[in-house]
Amino acid sequence: MPAVKAKPGRPKKSAAPKRAAPRASLADALGQAAWAEADSALAEALALCDEAISGATDVDQAALLDLLSQSLARAARKRGFTRLGALGAKEAFDRKRHDFTNPPKRTPKTVRIVARGVARAGETLVKTRVGPVRRTGKK
Amino acid sequence: MSAWTLCVDFGTAYSKAAAAPRNAWSRFDPASVRPLMIGGVQETGNAFLLESAVFVDDDRILFGRAAMARAEEAGRKRMALRSFKTLLSVSDLDRALNTSAPASVDPHRIFQMRDLIVLYLAYLLSAVDAAAAYDPMVRDATSIERRYAAPAWRSGDSAGMHQSIVRLFGEAETLRHAVGDQILEPEGISIQAVSDLLPKAMAEPAPYEMGLIFEATAAAAYTSIGLPDSGAHLIVVDMGAGTTDIAALARSGARLSELPEARVTLKQAGDFIDSVIANIVLANSRWAKTQAQQTELWRAVQRHMRDIKEAVFEEGRATLRHEGKVISVQMRDIERDRDFKEFMKGLASAYQFGLEVLRDDVMARGRTEIQAIAVGGGAAAPFIRELIKKTKARGNTRVTARPATPDWAHAREFRGNLAPVFPQLAISIGGALAPEQMLAAQGGINPRADAQT
Ligand SMILES: Nc1ncnc2c1ncn2[C@@H]1O[C@H](COP(=O)(O)OP(=O)(O)OP(=O)(O)O)[C@@H](O)[C@H]1O
Ligand SMILES: [Mg+2]
Repeated sequence: MPAVKAKPGRPKKSAAPKRAAPRASLADALGQAAWAEADSALAEALALCDEAISGATDVDQAALLDLLSQSLARAARKRGFTRLGALGAKEAFDRKRHDFTNPPKRTPKTVRIVARGVARAGETLVKTRVGPVRRTGKK
Repeated sequence: MSAWTLCVDFGTAYSKAAAAPRNAWSRFDPASVRPLMIGGVQETGNAFLLESAVFVDDDRILFGRAAMARAEEAGRKRMALRSFKTLLSVSDLDRALNTSAPASVDPHRIFQMRDLIVLYLAYLLSAVDAAAAYDPMVRDATSIERRYAAPAWRSGDSAGMHQSIVRLFGEAETLRHAVGDQILEPEGISIQAVSDLLPKAMAEPAPYEMGLIFEATAAAAYTSIGLPDSGAHLIVVDMGAGTTDIAALARSGARLSELPEARVTLKQAGDFIDSVIANIVLANSRWAKTQAQQTELWRAVQRHMRDIKEAVFEEGRATLRHEGKVISVQMRDIERDRDFKEFMKGLASAYQFGLEVLRDDVMARGRTEIQAIAVGGGAAAPFIRELIKKTKARGNTRVTARPATPDWAHAREFRGNLAPVFPQLAISIGGALAPEQMLAAQGGINPRADAQT
């Protein structure tokens, strides 16, 4: 049972109207509402992941990856995640914001974004992943 | 802190409600802003959104999400009534209310639009009450002042319209007490019960007090609250489901006045984008040859529309799986659509015109800045974000785009959860926060007192 779905209000016949509702803070309530929507997206992502790994499906791998990333992005949006940086963009390296996918011997001044970072409510959950500018081969 | 203000926003697609302490405007504290979980009376979906819908079934009336679900099952010939707001904003309100509901909405041909609106309002008021009782702060309120948000009326007779609408609320109040909590159940209420109780409610509306706040004013209120220099001039773009509204406002102190000549309402909004997307999917799926296949596909697209639209807006494209086929829709496809291009043209020129009107006022008052804000579910659309980012200055006025979600909605106490729904809740929140001077009309009906005099 998805325990995260606390639905308010609907006066159950057994519940006297004045019975104290759970002392939920608004943040909890908002979180539960967001989770309710994120749940289905996450569940979908899990199933797609299985399909992609098992390979026993008619849909091609690229399309599955599209669907998978779409479901994950949806779950993340519902939870108020934001992405940091733009894929492929060049930025001045900043230890606080960037992580190397493969740490180089000498730290370059400029790096290229390989994977966007993830933040929520002003807090960075995953730093932006970067690589050397040259390695992507596109200048 | 037990005197509260509560504002409902009944949009074409969703109703929303929020409450704030009565003194919030002068002593603003983000933690005391309470969006209400009016959608929480239903089992699924976002708890802060309540589908604005009534469905007339064989012998029952369904509301909200249940009404939408039933309408979908019932096929294309049957519809849920959704656009209350459009109805309430026509210039000849009384005539519109007294029109019979179309056969697609009411196959029995027994209801007038007015009846269905009162029924929906009864449902909405019950949902609001249930949500307020669930909120640990709002439920302790000793008094609650009620407001509703509506588009500005062209006819200019806001006070007259307001009277008519408050009366509908008064009737709804009587009706919901007569019907009881059953109205919140997914199976709705029986037409038999409605036939008995509705005429009585209409004959004896409960006394009701409400304030009216224009949607654009409410949007401006939330934008300027908590800002040291509360932007004296604002342009608001509200793209909802049914309409895209552009409004220009000038503020001095706690007063906000609209520059009426700048107001434009476009008929294209979220619902329109939905149909553009559905047509693209159909056109991209040549394998769907038979009528039945196309209908199935159309339905699948409608069911997932919100997710498709979000993905297209955020990532530039969406992928959809249907009957083993993978279909993708790109933002580029939408931009190539002829009707969409028309919409973009109309939007750009309406926005430009609004800015011109504002600029004259800005210069006349020796000011230099215009703030631009986008609200409504469409605030996330890339073309809306682009539009308000066009900060080209003229003379020495400059336009600053304000974020659709204000900084305070990112406050830690919300843990990132208010921000994603904020643009949709913005009008109800702004309507609850706004000081009294921003109301367009106030007052109510008191049939009992009237009868005594
Ligand atoms: N994140 C999002 N991305 C894309 N579309 C969205 C998003 N959130 C909401 N919408 C769309 O916005 C619309 C609903 O927005 P909103 O609640 O502001 O409308 P409304 O107030 O009911 O309508 P109106 O103001 O026109 O009467 C729907 O079309 C919905 O699909
Ligand atoms: Mg709206």
